[in-house]
Amino acid sequence: MCRIGAIKSKQKLHPSIALKLMRSQQEGHDDSGFAFVMQDMGGLFENYKELPLLSMAGTVEGARLAEDILRDIGFTRVMQWSPDINNKKGLKIDALPMYIFEVLQYPKSYKHATKEEKEELLIDTSIKLRKALEENNSGYIYSFWPDTLTLKEIGSPKDIGTYFNLWDENKDLTSSIITAQCRQNTNYDIVRYAAHPFFLEGYTGLVNGENIFYEKNKSYQERLYKGYLGFESDSQCLLYTLHYVHKILKWPLKYFKHTISPLSYDEIIKREDSEILLRIKASLSHLEVNGPNTFLGVTPSKELLCVCDSKKLRPVVIGKDKDTVIMTSEVVGINDLMPNRNIEEDIYPNERETIVVRDDLTVERWQQ
Amino acid sequence: MAAVKINEIHKSDLPWIVEYDESKCIQCGKCTAVCSFNAIKPAVEYRKKTNSILEKDKLEKVLVIKQNISLDNYCHGCGMCANVCPNGAIKLIRNKDDKYSVAYRSQKADSFKKGGRSNLNTEGRTLDKIKVGRISQMTDPSLDAQRHTFELRTPFGRVLKADKLNFGVKDGNIIETTKLPPNRWIYPIIFGDMSIGAVSWRMWEAMAIATAYLNEVMGIPIRMCTGEGGIPTKLLKSKYVKYMILQIASGHFGWNRIIKAMPDMTEDPAGILIKIGQGAKPGDGGLLLANKVAKYVQEIRGVPKADLLSPPTHQGLYSIEESVQKMFLSMNAAFKFKVPVAIKVAASVTSVSVYNNLLRDPYNIVGGFFLDGLAAGTGAAHEISLNHTGHPITSKLRDCYLAAVHQGRQGEIPLFAGGGLGQTGSFAADAFKLICLGANGVFTGRMLMEIAGCVGSDTGRCNACNTGLCPAGIAAQNENLVKRLDVDKVAQNLVNYILATDIELKKLMAPIGCSSLPVGRSDALITVDKHISNRLDIQYAC
Amino acid sequence: MIKIKTLKNNNRMSTQELLQMIYKKIEEGHTDFEIEACGQHDIGGALWSKVEKPLYFRVTNPGQRVGAMAMDGTKIVVEGSAPADVGWLNSGAEIVVKGDAGDTAAHCAAGGKIFVAGRVGTRSGALMKHDPKFEPPQFWVLKNTGSFSFEFMGGGIAVVCGYDCEELNSVLGDRSCVGMVGGVVYVRGNVEGLSPSVEQVPLDKFDKDFLKSGMPEFLKEIDRLDLKNKLLDFSEWTKIIPIPKELKKKKLPVKDFIKNEWFSDGLFGDLVEDNGEVYGLAEEGKARLRKPEWDKNLCVGCDLCIKNCPQNAIKKESDNYVSEDEKCIGCGICSAVCPRKAWKMIVNR
Repeated sequence: MCRIGAIKSKQKLHPSIALKLMRSQQEGHDDSGFAFVMQDMGGLFENYKELPLLSMAGTVEGARLAEDILRDIGFTRVMQWSPDINNKKGLKIDALPMYIFEVLQYPKSYKHATKEEKEELLIDTSIKLRKALEENNSGYIYSFWPDTLTLKEIGSPKDIGTYFNLWDENKDLTSSIITAQCRQNTNYDIVRYAAHPFFLEGYTGLVNGENIFYEKNKSYQERLYKGYLGFESDSQCLLYTLHYVHKILKWPLKYFKHTISPLSYDEIIKREDSEILLRIKASLSHLEVNGPNTFLGVTPSKELLCVCDSKKLRPVVIGKDKDTVIMTSEVVGINDLMPNRNIEEDIYPNERETIVVRDDLTVERWQQ
Repeated sequence: MAAVKINEIHKSDLPWIVEYDESKCIQCGKCTAVCSFNAIKPAVEYRKKTNSILEKDKLEKVLVIKQNISLDNYCHGCGMCANVCPNGAIKLIRNKDDKYSVAYRSQKADSFKKGGRSNLNTEGRTLDKIKVGRISQMTDPSLDAQRHTFELRTPFGRVLKADKLNFGVKDGNIIETTKLPPNRWIYPIIFGDMSIGAVSWRMWEAMAIATAYLNEVMGIPIRMCTGEGGIPTKLLKSKYVKYMILQIASGHFGWNRIIKAMPDMTEDPAGILIKIGQGAKPGDGGLLLANKVAKYVQEIRGVPKADLLSPPTHQGLYSIEESVQKMFLSMNAAFKFKVPVAIKVAASVTSVSVYNNLLRDPYNIVGGFFLDGLAAGTGAAHEISLNHTGHPITSKLRDCYLAAVHQGRQGEIPLFAGGGLGQTGSFAADAFKLICLGANGVFTGRMLMEIAGCVGSDTGRCNACNTGLCPAGIAAQNENLVKRLDVDKVAQNLVNYILATDIELKKLMAPIGCSSLPVGRSDALITVDKHISNRLDIQYAC
Repeated sequence: MIKIKTLKNNNRMSTQELLQMIYKKIEEGHTDFEIEACGQHDIGGALWSKVEKPLYFRVTNPGQRVGAMAMDGTKIVVEGSAPADVGWLNSGAEIVVKGDAGDTAAHCAAGGKIFVAGRVGTRSGALMKHDPKFEPPQFWVLKNTGSFSFEFMGGGIAVVCGYDCEELNSVLGDRSCVGMVGGVVYVRGNVEGLSPSVEQVPLDKFDKDFLKSGMPEFLKEIDRLDLKNKLLDFSEWTKIIPIPKELKKKKLPVKDFIKNEWFSDGLFGDLVEDNGEVYGLAEEGKARLRKPEWDKNLCVGCDLCIKNCPQNAIKKESDNYVSEDEKCIGCGICSAVCPRKAWKMIVNR
């Protein structure tokens, strides 16, 4: 199992909170990695919300390669931030030589481009960068999107925190949404791209689970949209499905749950919307997910999302105080960060539920 | 006594030797009374009283049971005689050196016909070399087959890609904005298409009862395909017609009564199956020999007593464009586009082309693709077709599924596979493996026969469905044979078998952690055969 | 009293380090612990003291399986909520959770008492058991459970008080008590989606006495004695017990379906004559495949047919031989033994 968490706050928070959230959930992960995605940035990135932010890691050669590609397309660097590396001895981390977080300006020709055209450019550029870096094994691109920063690394979460100097709060690196995972990823090779959270065009997804319909999902998604690639983890499929249902099909968020864990026929026919639900069940049968899962997600409109598999086989709990909502695998993480919250307001989602935290922190719960 | 000549038919030419033990026989006459093939008879033999050479002994007459030596009335090995013999005085020995088919052809100048299935099984079954090898352990939990809930329904009817559904959104809810093709959710097993005529009225009724019972009492949404031999008007006008997939084949038998019944039908049928070909005798039309065309069969089919040969193809459908646009359109129109229309073809090298073509049909009127493999059974066929034409089901089903995957269109036209399922006794396993390879469901006729008491085998026992002399009353039309079949019992056994299969399907879904049908989950399968691994794209294991 | 803090600066004590420390202290004779945990698992379980004093743990923020395999003579009080598997395989301890408990609380508990002041998660009470040589396990929950609760329960007593759960459709979640074969679940409030293999019945006197005697202790432990009167209003309580196998509803046999539901004269009633009679193999009369026909002109009156007929079906009436249909099975022996072929077998239709 992995341990996952999603935090959304009215304040801008530093990623140390993610490390602390995960700390007490140590027995649920295996020191094989730590990753987080920050969205709705504050601090140094506060003033660049409209511009794409590149998060990548690699060799010097990889960095140069990426720079060349971006320059050729016409991107120009506006701002760059480098983590304060603490390379003390004995840290359990499989670090790369370069970590690049930079804000870029769109090419001049995009001056009057629409939002859709810019988004298209970003996804195409991401794919191009990824392929180029993969070809000569010189790095990883995690996100290239406005107002989004991603860091993933292999090793002990605690030591990764130390290496990037993330344990101590500061005001430079903050955001209102942070999603994070501590990995237990020993089923397969330990690959950076396989670390949650996964990010695609403003959508973030992270899963504690095993998607045994991976082959089915993958064989369908590979031909569904150019951005659905990688598939290093069976959990990516859930993010792609969220993206497909919500962004491409433009269906309301509640139909995500109906897609990944459709109700049984016998339950559907009792409902007024049975016609619709049966169509979804048939048309998207290859996007159904089976196996134990808890999915946490973020949408481009800065909502948090939580759904579980139809047998509710994996843990998750949601706690809140007046400024912050935390979704995470085990209550211990929330107990550590919000010991004085009203526990009666904690939410233990059930197998039918979708929990959405709106941008204003109101929490909505729908039964499927 | 006439001389025995070499160029006559002899006992040693026949496929079965009747072994008779005079010392155990009490001459009760049951064996000869029960034989529907008239293959044995009581006879008087002459015996010497002693072996003494000193006196000429008078011969003694004794009554014995003898085998008929005949091309027409010969033993098919059904074993009914042995079943009724109180003392085990009679048994049948398979004649490994039989020359029957040579003798038949050389004397009749006609192709040899039989029923049942091919008895020329030279290669091992692919499905038996595949195991369910991806077991949920530690990574994800296995489920509990008895106690957890499982969704075993599968769509039947055209499924549109999500972006073609043209859904609108109103007040946060999806609403339908266009009329969509009919789609039903059915059990992944379909009672395969056996016509009234090919099987007896009692057998057909038992299947219909089992179907109705499973739906109405057990909540198992199984469907039965009627075959093309007409349908009793009563059934058409009843509520049970909703469990029936009406078949239209090249003979178009019985459709007059279906059309006439339409105004009085209170329910739509479950679907329509256009039969283009069948696995047992691909490229050949239906065949019902005159001896099975009983009076009621004549009536509901609208034909006289004669050999009924359906053409190999639908008259008027000479290209795939016509097949799709003309035939599918008409059959969709028959029930006002409210009933899924599917097609059944014999598995063939060309199946993938056909499937691709249907997938690309822009009018979305193809609701299912039934592929029938060469190990399928039949009521009657030329032996040459049974034994030497056709294509195994497994790789072709897989090809079709992967062809759809290649276009990102898997699931749009549900695939149903059949042909020899359960041949080695594991029907549920066969069904499950085909589902993992991409089938939405399976269909079977042979299992129903076997459940009903069919004594035929893959190695040549009986297989006399074409003769009308089925000793079990299943494929007979002779009243005295048909009445051997106990409708209540057969219906109950069919029900029981499906209930057992339902448990067994869950027993395979549970360990791989699947709570819904694992359509296309080939990652759950392994094979110990490298060629099968390559061909089907499943993991090789040793 | 031993106080253990498991987090210092950013260094967290691992489960193993914490448990080793507890073992050591118990070995030294300590019995009273206050543990500021940080998600460590298995606190309080499978422990016993040699000094014959009860073990007492007061824990904040434990990880999973607090009180796992805990024994008689152990008491664990969790201040606040605890994650999954509270009291897993509890063998005799008293475990009090003052907040909520996560999934599979009391899973496989076979002894002791588990008191939860809030909710419990999915599959709670699953596989609880009762070893008849010992007291049954008790599992008390103030509010509600998640779905699939009490799956495969084999014994013991669960009490779900449904406090403050009026708006829920089911205080036991959906699909509760699937595969339950023993034990009892007392429940107050709405219940829906129960497994069909259990039944929900009113309380009897024994049940009421049990709740009356147990409730004060439970409420005291979770500091909610104020609810005593409200929760002992038995009008809102029922109990769930498995239905014995012999009483389970049987499905209609197919033959009754045919009799009651199917077409009265059969599906083919208007097409063929068929009264539904089933012929045996080698039966007499109309069931015969063939029947003998006698030709007076050929007969020599030798009576061989009469002597050989296995059914004694042939008799002589004046000069005529007659085969009685009710006796004859159509074996053809008469025809075989007749020296003049006076008997011929013809098809019986």
